[in-house]
Amino acid sequence: MELIFIALGLYALGTCSLLLPARGELLAHRAGTFLAAGASFLVFLAAVDYLLGWGRFSLPQAGLIPFASLGQFSLAADLWSGFFLALTGLSGTAVSIYALGYAAHYQGQRLSLLTGLWNLFILSMVLVLIAGDGFTFLVAWEVMALASFMLVYHENEKKATVQAAYQYMVMTHLGTAAIMASFYLLGSASESLVFADLAKNGLTENLRHVAFAFAFIGFALKSGLMPLHVWLPNAHPAAPSHVSALMSGVMLKVAVYGFGRFVFQFLGAEVFAYGLVVMLVGLVSAFLGVLYATMEKDIKRILAYSSVENMGIIFTAFGAGMLLFSLGQTMLSLVAFGAVLVHSFSHSIMKSLMFMSAGAVMHATGTKNIEQLGALLKKMPWTGAFTLVGCMALSSLPFTSGILGEWLTLQSLMSLADSAGTQGLRLLVLVGFILMGLTGALALGCFVRYFGVAFLGRRRSGAVLNAHEATCSMKIGMGLEAAFIVFLGLFPGELVSAAMHALGTDFGSLRGSVWGVFWLRSMTDVAVYSPALLLVLAVVLLAVLALPLMGSKVFAQRDITWNCGTLPTRRQQYTATGLSKPLRRAFTSILRPRRERIFLTKEHAYFGRRLEYRLSLPEHFERLLYQPAEHLLVRLADGLRVVQQGSVRLYIGYTMLAMVLVLIWGWAK
Amino acid sequence: MMNELVIFLILAVLLQTRIMDLRRSVYCLAFQSGLLACACLIVGLVHGGVHLVPALLTLLIKVVFIPGAILRLIGKLTDEREIVSDINVNYSTLAAAFFLVVGYVLIDGIGAAPASRDVIAASIFMILTGLSLMVMRKRAIMQMCGLITMENGIYLLGLFVTEGLPLIVELGVFLDVLIAVVVLVILTSRMSLSFMTTDTTVMKKLKG
Repeated sequence: MELIFIALGLYALGTCSLLLPARGELLAHRAGTFLAAGASFLVFLAAVDYLLGWGRFSLPQAGLIPFASLGQFSLAADLWSGFFLALTGLSGTAVSIYALGYAAHYQGQRLSLLTGLWNLFILSMVLVLIAGDGFTFLVAWEVMALASFMLVYHENEKKATVQAAYQYMVMTHLGTAAIMASFYLLGSASESLVFADLAKNGLTENLRHVAFAFAFIGFALKSGLMPLHVWLPNAHPAAPSHVSALMSGVMLKVAVYGFGRFVFQFLGAEVFAYGLVVMLVGLVSAFLGVLYATMEKDIKRILAYSSVENMGIIFTAFGAGMLLFSLGQTMLSLVAFGAVLVHSFSHSIMKSLMFMSAGAVMHATGTKNIEQLGALLKKMPWTGAFTLVGCMALSSLPFTSGILGEWLTLQSLMSLADSAGTQGLRLLVLVGFILMGLTGALALGCFVRYFGVAFLGRRRSGAVLNAHEATCSMKIGMGLEAAFIVFLGLFPGELVSAAMHALGTDFGSLRGSVWGVFWLRSMTDVAVYSPALLLVLAVVLLAVLALPLMGSKVFAQRDITWNCGTLPTRRQQYTATGLSKPLRRAFTSILRPRRERIFLTKEHAYFGRRLEYRLSLPEHFERLLYQPAEHLLVRLADGLRVVQQGSVRLYIGYTMLAMVLVLIWGWAK
Repeated sequence: MMNELVIFLILAVLLQTRIMDLRRSVYCLAFQSGLLACACLIVGLVHGGVHLVPALLTLLIKVVFIPGAILRLIGKLTDEREIVSDINVNYSTLAAAFFLVVGYVLIDGIGAAPASRDVIAASIFMILTGLSLMVMRKRAIMQMCGLITMENGIYLLGLFVTEGLPLIVELGVFLDVLIAVVVLVILTSRMSLSFMTTDTTVMKKLKG
């Protein structure tokens, strides 16, 4: 019996919890989350076993499973899907354990429905990953979209939630439509929709470009790349936190999986322009994503924009890999694709962790406005510690898994600059390099702000007073992910080996061992990232620095200086808005913030005045891209209203016209 | 024998385009359906056996029941004539004449067997004229007459192209027409109650 089928069965069983009556909903919730956690663990186990080649369990191989009434489904897994199954399983397990405690506060608010849909959501994501043909893929994809829509829609008493959920629904269906169009194009040029047949498609060059464009639009939309990201910062704050954790941690990666399948198996990465487009979109998303993240005040919106950034990094690496491949540097392209996988994995665990911690904070304080938090570290030491790990990982600091993917991405950009044939490309890669550097720096700033304002300093509002530590299961869920981040940060070897194995090469130019990640550009040219060595170095350095201080006594006297005769109060500490002010100034031309200052009373130019200050960042993408599109659509619809006059005779007239045309057509033939 | 029937049918349909009075229009429709029943009977006699059933059904439903139901409905209505028609009757006759030509041109283009040439042309003529009657008339009853005319045309075409449809299909077609007419009669009487007229142009009010 294949392990993964047992997992699928458990998920299905867990989905049944939505049928249970409201009276036993807490019981249903516990059973459902246990099932989801167990099943996810089985998925993780099966995938890791498959990836590392232990050979104890097996994943489904290609083969049709006929369902008389529903058509034919087929399940097949390969190494590429195995890697993504592993990250789905891991985050699924951790977040399900977290949900056991966290979602319990939804008791009385359709809790059993939430848990049932939760199982369905993970089930559908696993199914997308092991789908063996286009039809199964699309069905699972659509179930995934609808289940996640229902989960986002869960708190439908709030108006903002309803709006966000519907926006998500519209956007995700646009994406599905694009992917479907791509599948149809491929399928029409192949024998069947089975992936193996699609790989042997006979598309002409032009149609292949169209198919690629559709696939990229569809998957970019799902992974929240700019400018198709608009649903993401709205849907995440609206959804329950464990749902955002999984949506951001895993669902976005499922889109990467789909894109990879299209590129590697169906369309090929030989065309230079494909890689260029992917890399540019990735770069723009990475940079703008983190810039917007730094500006936000809602903790979940910060995290959502940070997801845009990280997906941007992943697609930058993807594009760099495609470019390297099209330039004939197969070995080097593997480094970039390795970066895609490694960063997908680490982003999946760190973003799940961060959303879980955001959920814990929201649960404890009842607010998600970062300006009302502060000094949470004392009240929630565990959550604070885990969040610190997550923040470090998201700012890609050493000893966390976050740095790995970015390091590899930067390495592949460098090798792309090396092997670029033309001056133009070299210049572009240079710009890309700068943007990536800027992204890294901004991400660091963003998460220093996040952690500093929310967890350090003094409290910024009364909401913090009643804060309490997260429950045990929530701590276990977060702790699991945090442990993985640190472990992979210290010993990245296995992850890199698994990623290289998933790409189908065992020799590769990229290698991982206990000592770190080695990357051979040629026989003599070696780049090494070794956290173990770094750790030793850091310890030695600290020891050397600490030694002189050991013996001597340090006197420190604390006093308040330069405080104009007053004691510093809570209100004098940095606000989140204030902290990001320099960036707002520096990037005014991009952000175009709208400031409004109103004097309520003004007795004198310098004192005795009360003022109100409003700051907003207009949604430029909505204004420049979505609103014109909407207007166009409405105008077109208005044009079509001419046809729709409400007259019975006119409608019959249309029928008649159609019939006459058919007759003429038949006659002309 | 068939040719004469076809000539009479064409005449009946042309007459249909001239009539503005509701009752007369229904009588004309019954006459037209009667001719169709005769055609059915002839085909049935040639093939024998169960093929006589459709002729009987045509007689029963299209000559007796449907006109009867419509006539009863007219009895309840207050205004019996299509008084104001924004499209002149002459235009509908002209259109009908045009459709007759179109029918023959089409049939020659397709190249049917010479034996059934007239019948097929006539049926195309009937279908198109029925449709044009529905478009050009305002009153619900007149539009129903147009519908039945079109239906007769389709039936005639089916009869000659396939030389007698399977019985089950025939029964299905009749049931279809029957239900359509029943629904239309009900709706028309509702309309007359709500709007005090059966002029379908008032339906424009329903548009959102």
